[in-house]
Amino acid sequence: MAILQILHYPDPRLRTIAKPVSVFGDEVQRIVTDMFETMYAAPGIGLAATQVNIPKRILVTDTSRDGTDPRCFINPQIIELRGVEQMEEGCLSVPDVFETVERAEWVKVQAFDQHGTPFEVELDGLLAVCVQHEIDHLDGKLFVDRLSLLKRSRIRRKFEKAQKQAL
Amino acid sequence: MKAQESTPPRARVAHVLLNVINDGASLDRELDAARRLTPDPRNQALIQECAYGVLRHYYSLRRHLSQLIERPLRKRDAVIEMLLLSGLYQLFEMQVPEHAVVDASAAAVRSLDKSWASGLVNATLRNALRQRERFVPPTTDDAEACWNHPRWLIDTIRAAWPDDWQRVMQAATARPPFTLRVNRRQLARDEYLVRLQDADLAARALAHCPDGIVLESAVPVSSLPGFDAGLVSVQDGAAQLAAPLLDAQPGQRVLDACAAPGGKTMHLLETVDALELTALDIDPVRLARVNQSAARLGLQCRVIAGDAALPAPWWDGTLYDRILLDAPCSATGVIRRHPDIKLHRAPDDLALLPARQAAIFDGLWPLLRPGGKLLYATCSILPQENDDVLSAALQRHRDALAAPINVAWGRPTRHGRQILSGEHDMDGFYFCVIEKAAHD
Repeated sequence: MAILQILHYPDPRLRTIAKPVSVFGDEVQRIVTDMFETMYAAPGIGLAATQVNIPKRILVTDTSRDGTDPRCFINPQIIELRGVEQMEEGCLSVPDVFETVERAEWVKVQAFDQHGTPFEVELDGLLAVCVQHEIDHLDGKLFVDRLSLLKRSRIRRKFEKAQKQAL
Repeated sequence: MKAQESTPPRARVAHVLLNVINDGASLDRELDAARRLTPDPRNQALIQECAYGVLRHYYSLRRHLSQLIERPLRKRDAVIEMLLLSGLYQLFEMQVPEHAVVDASAAAVRSLDKSWASGLVNATLRNALRQRERFVPPTTDDAEACWNHPRWLIDTIRAAWPDDWQRVMQAATARPPFTLRVNRRQLARDEYLVRLQDADLAARALAHCPDGIVLESAVPVSSLPGFDAGLVSVQDGAAQLAAPLLDAQPGQRVLDACAAPGGKTMHLLETVDALELTALDIDPVRLARVNQSAARLGLQCRVIAGDAALPAPWWDGTLYDRILLDAPCSATGVIRRHPDIKLHRAPDDLALLPARQAAIFDGLWPLLRPGGKLLYATCSILPQENDDVLSAALQRHRDALAAPINVAWGRPTRHGRQILSGEHDMDGFYFCVIEKAAHD
C-alpha cells in the first residue's frame, strides 16, 4: 500500500485522456488499493487515476461520512442523465477552491469493478455529482473548466502565482 | 473530489457513538473506520478518548444531559445528543479547554447537516459550565446512572456477586491498564523492563504473570521497543494465565478452539517447545490475525477455520493431549476494555450463550485423549456461563473430572476459579481445568 502524489492544477498531465483498462490483474488491484488509501488520507470523497498520474480509466469514491461506502468504477460510462443540480464542488487537484457547479442530478452508469465484473448502477445526490466529477478527470477535464471564464482565470492566476513562489 | 470541508473530529465522534449506541455497531470497527478517515493523529486520539469515555460513562452522562435540556431531542436528532454527551465528557472528564469544547462542538453541527442546532449545543454546554456547582452526582436511587450499567446487568451481577458487585462495576467503568506479554523466546521480562526504561516508558512487572508487564500509560504499539521484531505483545494479565493452566508438555498435540485473535495461542507457543498446535476459529477473517501474530513473533501453528461444536469437517481424527476451550461468552469481564458490550448485551444472551458453550464442550470432548486435559475459559463473570455450564457438562460426561487449581490469584468457585474485573489489575476471567479419566 502506498499514498500516491496528487497532481495539482495547472499541471498539464491533468489534461491526459485516460485509456481503458483491458487486463484486470494484480496491477489494477494495486492501483485501486493505493487510490483508496490516497483518497482517504487526503481526505477526499473521490479520486480519478489521472490525478495520481496513472492514465487509466479507474476512479474510486466514498461519499459516506464514516468510510463505509467505498466504490470503484473502472471504464465507467454514463448511459443516461436526468435533471439538473447545483452543488458546491472542491477538488484534491485544486486545493482550497470551492465553487458551485451544475451537473445532472441523476445518472445511470455502466462500469467494471476491480475484478473485471461488469455492473450497472443508478446514482443520485452527492454520489452522482462525485462520479460525474471523476469521469471528467478521466477525459482530462477539471471542474474549473465548467466555471465562467472570469472565475477560471482568477483561479489559474492564483495557482500560477503560488507555483512561482514555491520555486 | 473533495468534500466541502473535512469532517471535524467531534462530528466523527458523534457518528461513531450513534452507530454504536443506536445501531449496535462494534466500537472497534467504528473506530477503525474513523481512524482511516482522520489523518491527524491528535484528532485520532481525541476521537478514541471521547468514544471510550462516553460509552464508559454513558448512563451518568445521559442523566446529566437530561437535567440540562428541557425537552428530549427528537429521534432523528440523536446525533446531536451524541455530540452533547461527548461535549459533557470533554468538559468534566478531560483536560480540554472549556471554550474549545463549546466552540468546536457548535461548529461540528454544520458538518452533521444540523446547522439549526448550533445554538442549542452552544447554550447547553455553557449552561452545563454555569451550573457545575449545582450539579448533583447520581445516587444509588438512580442505579443505572450510579453504576453506569443497564439495570438488568446490575441485577445480574449483584445476584452473582452479592459482596463484590459494586467494586466489579466500578472497575468496569475505570480505565484499564495497558498490559504487555514479553515473548520469552526472545528475552526475559527483566530485560524488556530495561528496554522500556531506556525508551522512557514507565512500567512494572505484573504479579501472577511471569511474562506480564503493566505500562504506566497507553502508547501506540509502534512506540514499543521491538514490537515489530516480536519481542512483545499486548495482552491482559488474566488472558496470560491460560497457557500455564493448560500445562502442555513439549511435543504434545494441542487444540486451541475459538483461538482468534490468537493471544493465548501465541503465549502457548512462546512458553512450550515443539508443540503441535492447531488454532481453530469459526471466523476466517479474524483468523488472519492469528497468522499475522505468528509471523511477527516468529512462531508456527496450524490455522483452520471451522466450528468447534461440529468437528467432523475439520478434525484429522487424531486425539489431542490438551484442548484450550476459550468459549464465546457475554464478555462481561472485559467491559472496561470494550464498553460497548454493556449496551449490546441483552438478557436473552444469557439464555443462548450457555447452550452454545455446552455444544462446543460436547463437540470437543470426544477429541481429548484419555488422561488429557481441557481448559475451559471465558472472559465472563457470570456463573450462568461458567460453573453452571461445567456442572451440566460434568453430569453429561462421566469421564470428565474438574481438577483443583492451586494458585494465589482469584477465588475458588464450585468447579474452577474466578477473577473479577479489576482484581490483580486484570480483566474478569473464569478458568476450569477438566481431566479425562484414563482407561482402566
